[in-house]
Amino acid sequence: MPGPLLHVKDLRVRYLPESGGKVQALEGLNLEILPGEVTGILGESGSGKSTLASTLLRLLPASAECSGCVVFEGEDLLTAAESKLRRIRGSKIALIPQDPAVSLNPVTRVGEQISEVLRAHLRLSRSERKQRVRQLLVEVGFEDVDRIVDAYLHQLSGGQRQRVVIAQAIACRPSLIIADEPTSKLHSELHCQILALLANTVAQHDTALLLITHDPTILAGFADRLMVMYAGRLIEQGPAESVMRRPLHPYTRALIGLSHGHTSGNRASHLPSIPGEMPNPLHVMPGCRFEPRCSEKMGVCATTDPQTFSPESSRLVSCLKYGN
Amino acid sequence: MRNKTAMCVLMIALVLVHLALLFAGFFAPYDPAAQNRDLSYAPPTRIHFVGSTGFHWGPFTYGMVKDFDGYREDQSQQIPLRLFAKGDSYTLLWVFHCKTHFFGADRPARLQLFGADAYGRDEFSRLLYGGQISLAAGLVATLITLAVATIIGTVSGYYGKWIDEMLMGSAELFLALPWFYFLVGVRAFLPLHVSPKETFLLLIIVIGVIGWARPARLIRGIVLSARTRNYVVAARAFGGSDFYLLRRHILPETFAVLIPQATLLIPQYIAAEATLSFFGLGISEPVPSWGNMLSTLQQYNVLVSYSWLLAPAGALVITSVMYWRLADRLHYWLQSH
Repeated sequence: MPGPLLHVKDLRVRYLPESGGKVQALEGLNLEILPGEVTGILGESGSGKSTLASTLLRLLPASAECSGCVVFEGEDLLTAAESKLRRIRGSKIALIPQDPAVSLNPVTRVGEQISEVLRAHLRLSRSERKQRVRQLLVEVGFEDVDRIVDAYLHQLSGGQRQRVVIAQAIACRPSLIIADEPTSKLHSELHCQILALLANTVAQHDTALLLITHDPTILAGFADRLMVMYAGRLIEQGPAESVMRRPLHPYTRALIGLSHGHTSGNRASHLPSIPGEMPNPLHVMPGCRFEPRCSEKMGVCATTDPQTFSPESSRLVSCLKYGN
Repeated sequence: MRNKTAMCVLMIALVLVHLALLFAGFFAPYDPAAQNRDLSYAPPTRIHFVGSTGFHWGPFTYGMVKDFDGYREDQSQQIPLRLFAKGDSYTLLWVFHCKTHFFGADRPARLQLFGADAYGRDEFSRLLYGGQISLAAGLVATLITLAVATIIGTVSGYYGKWIDEMLMGSAELFLALPWFYFLVGVRAFLPLHVSPKETFLLLIIVIGVIGWARPARLIRGIVLSARTRNYVVAARAFGGSDFYLLRRHILPETFAVLIPQATLLIPQYIAAEATLSFFGLGISEPVPSWGNMLSTLQQYNVLVSYSWLLAPAGALVITSVMYWRLADRLHYWLQSH
């Protein structure tokens, strides 16, 4: 078995807002990403998914503080020199940002913006770059490449924009792509199309993919491994199929239950939801973070922080139910 | 539509003024330094169409004679005005030696549209040549200011932290300074007896460097907000270097502020040069500038008796108003685009 491509150890991030206080966004995350593997990270908004994505590339705002380590090719990305990091960003680890509508410069042609990625990392002549850009655009499924190359952001539809940022991400054939909610801003019919495109590209080039989402349905049948985040912690991880079929953590169960309810066509008036809210990250309470909303809570849950247990091989869960 | 017409008129007027100043040698009938002691403080020459022999299609003028109580026209000889008259030699655009002027009058008459100063030098010619100096001072000093401000503002906004605090702290200090006294102080510190060319350079550098604070703060603000834009973060995520991010995504955003700023700074700096020259700290005689031309008006009797010597003040006001209008228009135009 090959060693992990990316190794995250005890990653902690907190934001220090100017208004005072501190917001613990990630609390002691441990995870490994294997080469060529599709890892899904599942969580509600506010669970720290996007923070994780930007921490891996050290793109956090200045108000954030992080500790722990993110090891990639033997190098800790959290302490690496900026110049070294720049060579990794885009060429070895690429990010597909959340919202392509604001992740592309509105006053620069998209072809040029793809070409800039190539220019940042590869020594190619202008005409070679042009040709590569066209290849990439074909690869992400464009037919009228001539129009797209010279188009501005506002001339593209949502799905086209998403494909442009995917083209940017795969431009240098990275070994890891981090996709932060790649379908959240899209029409639901486009979800499958974009996911299929992603699945295809990563399979073709044996790229590892870290797919961050709030929607379990898009991970089904796509992700190899699944991690569930809640309030800045990984609460469950394991092979995607077994987690989906038999979730261990009450939160995972609720989340996956919701999506089943949703797809079976419930009326909008009773859209299912998990009762309660994510805990306020400004006021950290003792005990399990999910305890106030948990339907299976026990007395100890309010006072004891759950450890990570491994009730079955290759499955990890942070819940006191599996304590003994 | 009305706005568009107004804008066109403004642009045309501005271009004409600049062309007139650029080709000062051609449009000025005389050498700005040529003295004519017989015509000290001569009033503006009057242009006639009707003489003793009736109406003439071509305008003409008379020679001036000094009387015991001022100047009087010598009506014995009508002297026609000419277009493209031969006159004093000058260098056009610092290259071409010419003698043809746009208009002029034969001797003994002198066509002094705005009268003459104490040494009998033609005020109109001096106004054009002086405008060259004053406007060049404004433009170059503005460029210097904006270059300094862009560098400081960008570094401050982009790198933040202690660099930002230090730079913006000194910007506040510069804003709090009473800039006029500061300018006078700095100018006084520099050698007094230097050639007009060196004075000019010193002057624009001093004016230009002092004014960096306000535009630097503006640019810092823009860079600060542009830096966190998603596409800038995305570009950083694909490995764009700082220089690339600045050049490609951040600096273009500052242009919308830089251009109106420039049009505001130019008249301000023209006035600054004029102020310093007015107090004798700027461009020195015999080279004319709008400021040192006005400095003779420090004498009360000159101010009340020879009102035509106020012409540079009029030119200053008109140019400034035109630039301010342009800044205003540009501001709205850039906002709506």
